[in-house]
Formats: sequence, C-alpha cells, structure tokens
Amino acid sequence: MTGLAGKSMDRKKHRIMMVSDFFYPNFGGVENHIYYLSQCLLKLGHKVVVVTHAYGNRSGVRYMTRGLKVYYVPWRPFVMQNSFPTLFPSLPIIRTILIRERITIVHGHQAFSTLCHEALMHSRTMGYRVVFTDHSLYGFSDAGSIHMNKVLQFTLADVSQAICVSHTSKENTVLRSGLPPEKVFVIPNAVDTAMFKPAVVQPSRSEIVIVVISRLVYRKGADLLVEVIPDVCRLHPNVRFIVGGDGPKRVRLEEMREKHSLQDRVEMLGAVPHAQVRSVLISGHIFLNSSLTEAFCIAILEAASCGLLTVSTRVGGVPEVLPDDMIILAEPDPGDMVLAIERAISMLPKVDPQVMHNRMRELYNWHDVAKRTEIVYDRALKCPNQNLLDRLSRYILNIICSI
Amino acid sequence: MDHRLASDSPQFRPRWRKVAYGGMQPGFDDNYTDESFLEGMVMNANVVKRDMLKVMLDSVSISEYLCIVALVVLVWTYTLESTIDENCLLCIDVSLLVSGFLILLYTPEKVSLSILIHHYFLNISFFIIGLYVLAPIYQTLTRSISSDSIWAVTASLLVLHLFLHDYSESTVNAPGALKNPALTSCISVNASVVASVFIASRLPSRLHVFAIMLFSLQVFLFGPLVTYCIKKYSFRLHLCFSISLMVVTLSFVYMLHRLLFVLLLSLLVFVNVVCPYWLIRIQEYKFEINGPWDEAKLCFAITD
Repeated sequence: MTGLAGKSMDRKKHRIMMVSDFFYPNFGGVENHIYYLSQCLLKLGHKVVVVTHAYGNRSGVRYMTRGLKVYYVPWRPFVMQNSFPTLFPSLPIIRTILIRERITIVHGHQAFSTLCHEALMHSRTMGYRVVFTDHSLYGFSDAGSIHMNKVLQFTLADVSQAICVSHTSKENTVLRSGLPPEKVFVIPNAVDTAMFKPAVVQPSRSEIVIVVISRLVYRKGADLLVEVIPDVCRLHPNVRFIVGGDGPKRVRLEEMREKHSLQDRVEMLGAVPHAQVRSVLISGHIFLNSSLTEAFCIAILEAASCGLLTVSTRVGGVPEVLPDDMIILAEPDPGDMVLAIERAISMLPKVDPQVMHNRMRELYNWHDVAKRTEIVYDRALKCPNQNLLDRLSRYILNIICSI
Repeated sequence: MDHRLASDSPQFRPRWRKVAYGGMQPGFDDNYTDESFLEGMVMNANVVKRDMLKVMLDSVSISEYLCIVALVVLVWTYTLESTIDENCLLCIDVSLLVSGFLILLYTPEKVSLSILIHHYFLNISFFIIGLYVLAPIYQTLTRSISSDSIWAVTASLLVLHLFLHDYSESTVNAPGALKNPALTSCISVNASVVASVFIASRLPSRLHVFAIMLFSLQVFLFGPLVTYCIKKYSFRLHLCFSISLMVVTLSFVYMLHRLLFVLLLSLLVFVNVVCPYWLIRIQEYKFEINGPWDEAKLCFAITD
C-alpha cells in the first residue's frame, strides 16, 4: 500500500509544451482538446505551456485558468489559421521557449498545422521526445491529401509516440505516416459533462424537435439535410427542426425551406457561439449529424450529454463514439437517414435524458484522457534517443519512397 | 493481484472491442492492435484493367488533332511564303465551312436543319462580318514587334494550346449541351486564337489577314466539334479519317522539310505506340487505398 502511494508520489512530473496553430480564441475540436487536456494535466501536477500563433492583437504571453501559460508567437496566419511554412526561421523562438520553460516533452496537435510540424522537427533535432496527436482523417486520392501525407511521413519519421482520437483515425494515420501500429495510441476526445446537463424541465413530447448544429458546408453533409428535412416534415406533422450554424450551404437550406413552405417548422439560427450550444441542444429531443467524414465528432458527445438521442451518418470514427443504444446510425443516403430518424422517433418515449447524461459521465471524462495521455508521455520518455545519422537515414528512406 | 489473475485466465478476460467510449479497456493498453486492424481497407477497388489495343485506338484522337494543328501551321507557312494566294485561301475557307456543316448535318441525328440555320448560320455570318471589319486592325496590331518574337510567341502559344486542349470532347459544344467546358480548355482555345492573330498580323494585305484568320478560327474552334461528331457517329469512320489525315499531313511535311517530317513521325509514333505501352506497364504499380476514413460520396446530384 505504502509502496503504491510512494510510487505515485515520485512518478516523474513532466514539463509539457503543447504546440498547434489552433487554440483559443479560435473554436473547434482541436482547441477544446488542447485546453481540457492541459487543464487536467495541470491538475495532475505537470507543467504545461501552449504555443500557438498570434490571433489578431493577441500576441505575447497570456495566462489562462489554473496558470496555463500560452505563448501567442507573433506570426500572422496566412490561410485557414495556419502560420506560413518557413522551416528554419521558427527555430530560435521554439528553442527559446523550450529552454526557458525547461520542457521535457513536446506534444504537437493536428496534421495540417504548420507550426506543429516545424516545432516537432526542431525539438527532435534538439533531442526532445515528441508526441503527436492527429485529429482528422485524410483520404489518399486527391492532390491535397497526397501532399499532406508526404509532409506527415516526414515529420512523423522519428516521432516518439503518436495519439489518434479513434480507431479509424489510427488506421488512417498508420497508413499515411508509415508508423508501426504499436507506436500509435487511441485516446478519444471527451466532453465536459458538467457544462452539458439536460434541461431541468424536460421539453414536452407533443412536438418532437430535431436539432442540427454544424457548419453548413459540403463536408458536414449540408446537402443531405436539404434532402432529408422535407421528407421528415412530410411524414411527421409533429416534427420541428432547429438548424444552428452558418456556412456557404446555408442558402441551399433556406431555398429548401421556401420551396416546401416550411418556414414555421424549420428554424435557422445562424452561427451559434459555443457558450450557447447547450441552450440550443436542450430545447430538442433528437440530434442529427449528417457529416460525410468525421474522425471523432465531439458534437455527438455534447448532444448525448444533454440527453438527446443521436442520429448520425455511419462515417469515419462515428460508430465507435457511442454504444449502440444511444446512437442510431444510417448510411449517408437521404432514404436511409429518414428511416433512421423514424426509428429514433419511435424510440424516444423510452429515452430518459438524465439517465443518458449519467451514462455519458461514466463513458467520457477529460481526467481519464489526461491519465491515459500521461502513460503515453512516460512511454515517450523511455524511447531511445536516435542519433542524427539514424534520423537522416530515415528521412532519406522517405524521400526515396516518395519518388 | 486480482488483476493479474483476471488477465491470465482467458475466460474472465473481457474481449477487446473497437470502441472509443468507456475509458481504457481493462487488460489492454491504448496502443493495442488486434487482427481487426485495417480490415476495412480495400486496395485497388476502382482500377480499370486496360487493354493495349483499346488504349492505342483511343490515342488516335490525339494524333488526329496533332495533325490538324500541323496542317494549320503548314497553311500559315505557305501563306507567309506566298505559295498560296488570298483567293486560294478563301476557297479553302468556303470548302471547309461547307464540308463542316455537311458533316454536322449528317452525323448526329439531333442537329436538324432548322437548328442549324437558326443557331449556326446567323452566328457565323455575324462572325465573318466582324472578322472582315476588324481585319485592318489585326494587320497593324503587332507592327512594332519584331518578327522573331512573333514566331517564338506563336510557337509557345501553340504548344500551350496542344498541352491544354481537351482531347476527349470539344470545347465548342453542340447546341443544347449541358456541360460547360473546363477552364483549361478555354485557355487552350484562347491561346490558339492569339496565335492566329499574331500570324495574321505578319501578312501583306487586308484580304490575306481576313482569309487566314477565318481559316485558323474555323479549324481551332469548330475542328474539334466536327471530329467529335464523327467519332460519336462511327468509330470506324473516325479511324479512317484520322489515318488519312495523318498520311496527308506527313506527306505535306515531307515536302516541306525532312527534319520536321522525322520529328512529326516520331511524335506520332510516341503518342500512338510508346505512350499506350508505357501506360499499360505502369498500371502494375497502381496502388489505391480506400477505407472507412474516406469522405462519403453523395448518391444524388446537387443542383445549385
């Protein structure tokens, strides 16, 4: 007993640098993941700093809750919040931060963050152990993905350990980067269940409200919604839709609403700030996710935590996210999705939002994620340090393979 | 101790499941990989087996168009050398126009005489009048530029035209066609028009300029449409037409210059024999991966 306690006491505390182009004030799955993971690691007694690029006039060092130190490196993003790929000019500032904060582990996030790739490369050169988390899926067919995959092979050539958010994402990353599967860990995202509680007063079931919250873009399946919503409204006169989110496909949805005269049954909210997502979710009974590709999908977790029954397309890592009785999966085809929504409506009387919320609290927890990530850091520190010659030969192997 | 026991005896050990919920699965590390790993991966699902003969026959349309462009260049050269005079050129123009219309009329069933007259006849007459009015401007357009630059720019524009040309369809569509042409094929058409303007600006008289412009535009704009119609009507006819075109072009080029003849011949052999063989050879290195991570395809058309 004392041995165990003693062991956990002298367990080595890490000094971690999280690096990614994506962090608050930007909003999304990656930003959320870095923030909550850092908070929980700080709680476990580790030191965490976050490095990202400057957002607007927010540049320099900022502190967040629990003393989380954030370096907003004064580089401007050039496209989609990515900093300009420069390879070497980023070395001095990365090196300064690494030395000043006495970092032991560097943890990069997201495959299309240039800052992350550069920081990982420089830290490897300086002999640090690096961990990389991949948050998204990529195909192998179009020119953009082929380029991304080559970059990934290059940076991941000598990464100590990698983390993926779902098993599908792990398969994808292993194929793209050529890492051995035993070096890739699956640690999913989680949800802050305290923030997403079901409504105290349940909305009445005389009218069924289906909630959609997503960016209205092609990849999120906005075109599927255009086909599905009129069909469901026709079949079920007591169903109402609430659509939160904005994007280029919003016009198509509004056209659909006009064409089928559904103005009183389809409410379009526009972009919903993250702080208000819960209040939109709790006014509904069913959550509909129509993504065409998804590595994990935090939105489903948030909806389930609010006690909503989820209907989703069977794509990417979505089937792994929830137990079968909490989610209804459909093929990404309007007919099948309408059937799935009908099944969800018939299941609705048996669903108790509070029970669902309690189950979610057991299934997902950021502290659990942090503990599992801690194990990955321990493993990374045990990895033998390769010398430069080894590293170079691996890079050259990559170059030959790519030719 | 309990934990050790549980993991040692297989009947108590819970099976590993491919799920992300519920935290770390007892008895398994997060990097556990079982035999279900990558079982959803499909390799080379959409690869088409290619047949050498078919590829060779398909590549005939490329060499056909190469020959058409070579013939245009021949006409340009002879006009610049004054071997062909303007009246002869106008005769060629008229005969090309008439034969083109006849082919359009007789090959596809859908282009009826009334559409032909309404759609084409009016447009083409406007086009010819416009060209005639603008001929003096074309003639003096590049007077301040030296001829060497003109040859160089024309040659590179033609190469660009050939490189970006849409060999599978025609950029100028038949009336009622739904598909809009791609950006690259539009650039290609424009490059050929600019090249014709440059060549026309080196000619001595207004009538020359008009005749050569009309000729080149007819070929570059409507040539692909005519050959496309022939190909759609009958593949055999298309083959005969292409082969005779190749023979004619090669013989004319032979008369002009030996080295150019050798170059054109080797280009045709390269396009028709070497490239198909090459394509078939590199097919075996084809490696295509599909799996659950791919973006789902929508099974309906999006009408914007």
